[in-house]
Amino acid sequence: MKLDPAAILLQLLLLLALAPFVSGCIKNWKAKLQNRRGPRIWQPYADIFKFLRKDMVISEHASWVFSFAPYVVFISALLVGLMVPMISVPAPLSLFGGALAVIGLLALGRFFLALGGLDPGSAFGGMGSSREMTISAIAEPAMMLAIFTVAITAGSTDLSQIVRATQGPTWKLLDPTHVMAFAALFIVLLAETGRIPVDNPATHLELTMIHEAMLLEYSGRYLALMEWGASIRQLVLMTLLVNVFLPFGIAVSASPAAVGTALLAYTIKLLVLSAAVVVTETTNAKLRLFRVPDLLSAAFVLATLALLSTFLFQ
Amino acid sequence: MPASPQLNLQLITLLAAGMLVLQLLMVAQRQLLTNIRLFAIQSLLLAGIAGVSAFSNHAPHVYFMAALTFGGKVLFLPWFLRRLVRQIGIGQEMHPWINPPTSMLICGGLTLLGYLVARPLTTAVSGTNTFGVAMALVLTGFFLLINRRRALTQVLALLSAENGLFLAAISLTGQGMPLVVELGVFFDLFIAVMVVGILVFRIRATFATTDVHQLNRLKG
Repeated sequence: MKLDPAAILLQLLLLLALAPFVSGCIKNWKAKLQNRRGPRIWQPYADIFKFLRKDMVISEHASWVFSFAPYVVFISALLVGLMVPMISVPAPLSLFGGALAVIGLLALGRFFLALGGLDPGSAFGGMGSSREMTISAIAEPAMMLAIFTVAITAGSTDLSQIVRATQGPTWKLLDPTHVMAFAALFIVLLAETGRIPVDNPATHLELTMIHEAMLLEYSGRYLALMEWGASIRQLVLMTLLVNVFLPFGIAVSASPAAVGTALLAYTIKLLVLSAAVVVTETTNAKLRLFRVPDLLSAAFVLATLALLSTFLFQ
Repeated sequence: MPASPQLNLQLITLLAAGMLVLQLLMVAQRQLLTNIRLFAIQSLLLAGIAGVSAFSNHAPHVYFMAALTFGGKVLFLPWFLRRLVRQIGIGQEMHPWINPPTSMLICGGLTLLGYLVARPLTTAVSGTNTFGVAMALVLTGFFLLINRRRALTQVLALLSAENGLFLAAISLTGQGMPLVVELGVFFDLFIAVMVVGILVFRIRATFATTDVHQLNRLKG
């Protein structure tokens, strides 16, 4: 298998361009659903460009880790994005690893995000980092088990192989085990992207913030990278959900027509999933921090059940 | 539109899996109102299953049951329970005996138990695991019933266990029990909810709480 520069470039552009759009859609729809006008859909792009032009203020207590972290967060998110099939199979960088590499790279990004929060020595940053780590310690196993459920049915942990298997004739669309895995992964998505039952993306209230607390010390270019990286990461997780569990219209060949329909189908699926996130965010109250493990353990048990029932119903 | 039986069967299995997921979320959820909403969605899926199985088995009386489930369990009972919550002004949060993560694990075990118990029947009769899901729903429903303290939340658990029974009947026979039996069960339940609704008021008037544990003090 050779690397295809055109595919890499296409998916890279797609990741960079689509991620702020999805964030913007979610923000805008959420506001609409709550009878507010809300920011325009294009606002995240404007924010990123504004941050890129601004000067940075860096704490004098910060070490090199502080300046290193945004690059790691951003680039690891992009790399994960290139390993997940978005519109065509195989994914551009699937050569370098499957589901385990994806989970590992996501964890690397999260690790540096937490380090970046800890490094300047601000109280809120440390608090945010410790909370993030607590939550991800439970969310990550649930994510792994949910992906493994599908991997067992497909007979491979390579994401491209999994998606290719979903296109085959023997694939049972939305098998009960997959429904459970999907539900688990959806909860993980809410937790990992800092959505409402777990974290509130719109708050800067000291007591409740998790993700925002880690970014408090960042400004200018670094903040832009962090925010952009976070939205890419969200896009990647959503892609994982829609393409593995609802594999409609993914391009198996590289013809322009197939890629075009795949792009259309992918965008529609993403928007539907975003709508589901918006509805969940609006209809639920934020959980107290010590109640979050309840929700995540629900995801964990769902994923475990899904995995076990794949063996029971062979 | 003549849908293939395979597709119908798959749709039923899918909806049943959705019911199980909702049941497990109910176990993890502490918010009372969210719990009522989850129950309503679960009943909606059940009504969908009844509708699909009525369609595929050409059993008109199951349509009737589907409509009854929709009217009763999706619209009326949630509304009634929500009204009850508002009227007696009980707190938003439930306080189960066992904390949610542990109960999730227990319910996971119960689900597997349900699958295993149902296994001989599922392979022999229908070839799908819908009956296993139904057993799991009944078992976890009973667990919820034991685990909760207050009368109102126990009613909710009873109702979700009954959802499981209804699903079991549909999954085994394909057209549910005879209409009379279904109607009987349904109205029994209906009356039970009403009675408990009144009882909740009485318990609260006597003990200033709806914790049924207090009833132990009534022993002579």
